[in-house]
Amino acid sequence: MLFFLLCYANIYNYMNIFQKNNVMIVFLKSGARKKNRQNIMNFINKINGIKKIKYYGNKSSMKFLSKRLKNLKSVLKKINPKVMPSFIKIYFKKSAVSSIFLSNIYLRLTSIKGIKLVYYNKMLEAKIRQFMFFTKVIGLILFLFLLILSIFISYSAIKLIILRKQNEIEILRLIGATDGYIRIPMFIEGEIGTVLAFLVSISLLYSIYKIFIFYGFDSFLNFFHIKIIFLNAMQIGVVFLIALISGIAGTYLSSRKFF
Amino acid sequence: MIEFNHVYKNYDKNYILRDLNFTVNKGEFIFITGPSGAGKTTTLKMLIAMEKPTHGAVKFMGTELNDIKKSEIPFLRRKIGFVFQDFKLLPKRTVFQNVALGLEVSGVFGDVITKNVSELLKAVELYTKKDEYPLSLSGGEQQRVAIARALVQNPQVLLADEPTGNLDEETSKIIINIIKSFNNKGTTVMLATHDKHLIADTGRARVIDITKA
Repeated sequence: MLFFLLCYANIYNYMNIFQKNNVMIVFLKSGARKKNRQNIMNFINKINGIKKIKYYGNKSSMKFLSKRLKNLKSVLKKINPKVMPSFIKIYFKKSAVSSIFLSNIYLRLTSIKGIKLVYYNKMLEAKIRQFMFFTKVIGLILFLFLLILSIFISYSAIKLIILRKQNEIEILRLIGATDGYIRIPMFIEGEIGTVLAFLVSISLLYSIYKIFIFYGFDSFLNFFHIKIIFLNAMQIGVVFLIALISGIAGTYLSSRKFF
Repeated sequence: MIEFNHVYKNYDKNYILRDLNFTVNKGEFIFITGPSGAGKTTTLKMLIAMEKPTHGAVKFMGTELNDIKKSEIPFLRRKIGFVFQDFKLLPKRTVFQNVALGLEVSGVFGDVITKNVSELLKAVELYTKKDEYPLSLSGGEQQRVAIARALVQNPQVLLADEPTGNLDEETSKIIINIIKSFNNKGTTVMLATHDKHLIADTGRARVIDITKA
């Protein structure tokens, strides 16, 4: 379960970073006056959540294009820079970016005179949102499956303990022990087992994570802007709580059969 | 104290008990006799709610055991000591711990346990072996431990199911004398056996022959 959560946290984190790396490009109408352009830039600057804005004129646009299309330099040379669009690139603060926020800005900008087109990767955003929804659903299904599995494991472990102690349980019941008297040590035993299993798992997982970092596998992934993170205290706490609950549930189910 | 009124017990079509009727008064020593399979153990088990009659009523101190709630059974069993033919001791616990178990399940701890268990072990002449494990004891000694455990909760009734079944004649006499000594102190005893010599040697005791039931 811990390994699954670590994978899930990393995928989610990656997609979140990806989603928040949003940039909006505002294409200005050809022949837009400097004053008009300045007004647009002032308007954009007043919007909360803007990190910085950068203006690209016709020539800068050409430079921008030439930089990215180095192989087509000879073709680009023949093109008059005046036909290139002038645009404003808007960088948003990561903390401020959300789909509603971007949609709002998009609508406000498209209604301004002098703006030809506003581009932000709506398609990509939708895909990311779809993917994140998908990971959430799959994550929930996997989580439920693992929860049932862990309950079953503790159920089987306690059942084995009960079978081993059946004679002792029978004697205790004959001399007047209540179900609680017999069951409480089983719950304690089940919980100790759960805590130990959790500690072993988290140590093992952390060791694997450290080895991964030590041998520089993360720097390879950095190339793809993927940053490997370990579970935070809250996530570990949640898994610990789930482990305790599954331990109790497993013990309850296995002991219920015998009482 | 104990009443069996028209008690029947059958497993499928096989009747173990048919119209069993008897009463036991406080302080009595009762022998339940009959051949193997006559229902002696079943009769005793009904008193600790391990078995229920198919028909009829079993009463213990005015309480009808047919209708006893599952949660009340442990409290009933604390009022009744049970000695088994196969002792039913815990092999991983010492003699002292086995006897103390009877008190621990009732929620008694500390000095009371030490005092009561020590007294009982002295009464069954096993105090010197209190730290030994059951498997290192003879059959007679193990049965004395089982008697001590059954009596440690100071029950009103002691039920013994063939307590001498696995023991030689000499040891059987010792066990019966120990049980008699507790009966003399006021504990009601119901002892199931098919050993007629044992009954003859015991003297003042009532015999209930369940083969006639």
